[in-house]
Amino acid sequence: MNNPLLWKLLRRHVSKVQTVGFAIANIVGLTIVLLGLQFYVDVLPVFADEESFIRKDYLVVTKTIGNGAMVGSLIGGTDINAFSDSDIADIEEQPWVRKVGRFTTTNYRVSASLNAYGRSMRTQMFFESVPDEFIDTKNINWTFDPNSKNPEIPILLSKDYLALYNFGFATSQGMPQLSESMVGKVPFSLVIQGDDGRVVRVGGKIVGFSNRLNTIIVPESFMKWSNEMFAPGVVTKPSRLILEVSKPGDVAIEKYMKKHDYEIAGDKMNSSKANYMLTIVMGIVIAVGLVISALSFFILILSIYLLLQKNTKKLQDLLLLGYSPSEVASQYVKMVVWVNMAVYVFGIALMLYARSLYMPQLEAFAICGGSLWQAALSGFILIALITMGNIIAIKRKVAALWYLEK
Amino acid sequence: MNVITLDNTLPRVFAGREAIPSDVWQCPLSLHRGTVYLVTAESGSGKSSLCAYLYGYRKDYSGTIAFDGRNIDSLSVGEWCEVRRRHIAYLPQEMRLFPELTAWENVQLKNRLTGYKTDSELRGLFERLGIADRMNSLAGKLSIGQQQRVALIRTVCQPCDFFLLDEPVSHLDEVNNGIVAQIISDEAIKSGAAVIATSVGNNLNIKVGEVLKL
Repeated sequence: MNNPLLWKLLRRHVSKVQTVGFAIANIVGLTIVLLGLQFYVDVLPVFADEESFIRKDYLVVTKTIGNGAMVGSLIGGTDINAFSDSDIADIEEQPWVRKVGRFTTTNYRVSASLNAYGRSMRTQMFFESVPDEFIDTKNINWTFDPNSKNPEIPILLSKDYLALYNFGFATSQGMPQLSESMVGKVPFSLVIQGDDGRVVRVGGKIVGFSNRLNTIIVPESFMKWSNEMFAPGVVTKPSRLILEVSKPGDVAIEKYMKKHDYEIAGDKMNSSKANYMLTIVMGIVIAVGLVISALSFFILILSIYLLLQKNTKKLQDLLLLGYSPSEVASQYVKMVVWVNMAVYVFGIALMLYARSLYMPQLEAFAICGGSLWQAALSGFILIALITMGNIIAIKRKVAALWYLEK
Repeated sequence: MNVITLDNTLPRVFAGREAIPSDVWQCPLSLHRGTVYLVTAESGSGKSSLCAYLYGYRKDYSGTIAFDGRNIDSLSVGEWCEVRRRHIAYLPQEMRLFPELTAWENVQLKNRLTGYKTDSELRGLFERLGIADRMNSLAGKLSIGQQQRVALIRTVCQPCDFFLLDEPVSHLDEVNNGIVAQIISDEAIKSGAAVIATSVGNNLNIKVGEVLKL
């Protein structure tokens, strides 16, 4: 019921200072929550995209090659630096390990030759493979069929190799720089030489680049087939492992590695820690925002209680006239809804302003930002919950005024 | 609503007293639509309590009160709102006007809820009661007698089966008492309503059907 007389009567004792105090406190809380969420969404591509500079939660582990191991490998082969089954079983038992993948290497000789731009090149090379689930490059044709008419080996290269070529080799040697897609178009052939002297020529194609795997990767199915075909009976233990870990920044991982003299490739541990810390900081920021919002919620509740207390007689008299508790309460409900809507609008506006300040910094990392709707929706849900809490408090308080004496 | 019945009703504060000489407390009593009742009482005999029980804002009594046979204890808040808008028109002794609203706004606050009287009918009532010139004055600035007349106008701003008037003319002179009695009488006849008027001495000048001693 729209009754201006009711509002004229009930707006008395509405404290502007308290209302503004609540609104400011809630705007601050909501803005922090919104900003935390929005920032998280904006930098989420960094976390979610495996190609990005913060590798999420995969570690490549090797045994440390000291002088002793080096001499040992000269005498006794590579197995001395390899992981034994018991080493692997021990790693698999660690609580921070989700999955363990073994790097398999070729047990035969292989060389690649390519003809491009009128020049021909030939080089000895090697392949490694890991279980397919550890491959981070998406949307590639990652199958090898030895029975097809023109079998072609799909190959993944480390991104670092391309960078090394483009920014190291090509610029100094006057060679053309290559884009990822262009490299994929370069046809080259591979010559595989078996233990028995057999030589097989097969096509190869670079299908993508990997940030996670710092090597030359072929499908595991090809690796199995080729090792059986060209080096039957040779069994080598893996000297590199890839681990999927649950908490990348875990100190326990570092301790374990140190204790067993294992090495983590690159600075993955540090970047993983950065990622982990960032998540924690984000969580803290959002929690602080939520606490401020919760406190402001209680400010409003107290303010409403005080208001209802001051207006108790008026409210009771209105009930005696025949106004229902919900009609009487609706005046304050409307006020709360308007105030909270204003808080939401201001919160969103402030969040957008703050976002406009940090986005240029993020754009330097080639991050174009996530969508706004997740933060906007979360903020709306938060403000809706606060409003609902306020409305319930008002209705209960007014309903309690019905009987002067029971 | 046709009949209000009280059965062995007694304010809890009176519990333990022996033999209360009353036509209302601890008695079977039926109040019928269309009859005028004068409830005479001494101060402190529970007159305002009776009104509060019948109007549903206090229930600190023992015994039973029923509207058309239904125990009022079982009425929901929504049903009580309906009773207050359509069935019982109540004039409290303390008037309960809102001092920050004008006399006209106080009346409108009730009339907007019921839509029972036209503005011209209300102006007519202000004129009959001699307070037309105070319509736009804040209720808090009116004399007690003027406030009582404004509260009376507000009381008749609704359809009803029972007028429940708690000392309606306690602050009025004879002339205004007569005018108030006439207005109430006219309204009661128009809607066939009963009148239950309490008094501690200054009786409403109306033809009484039954006198009840509290």
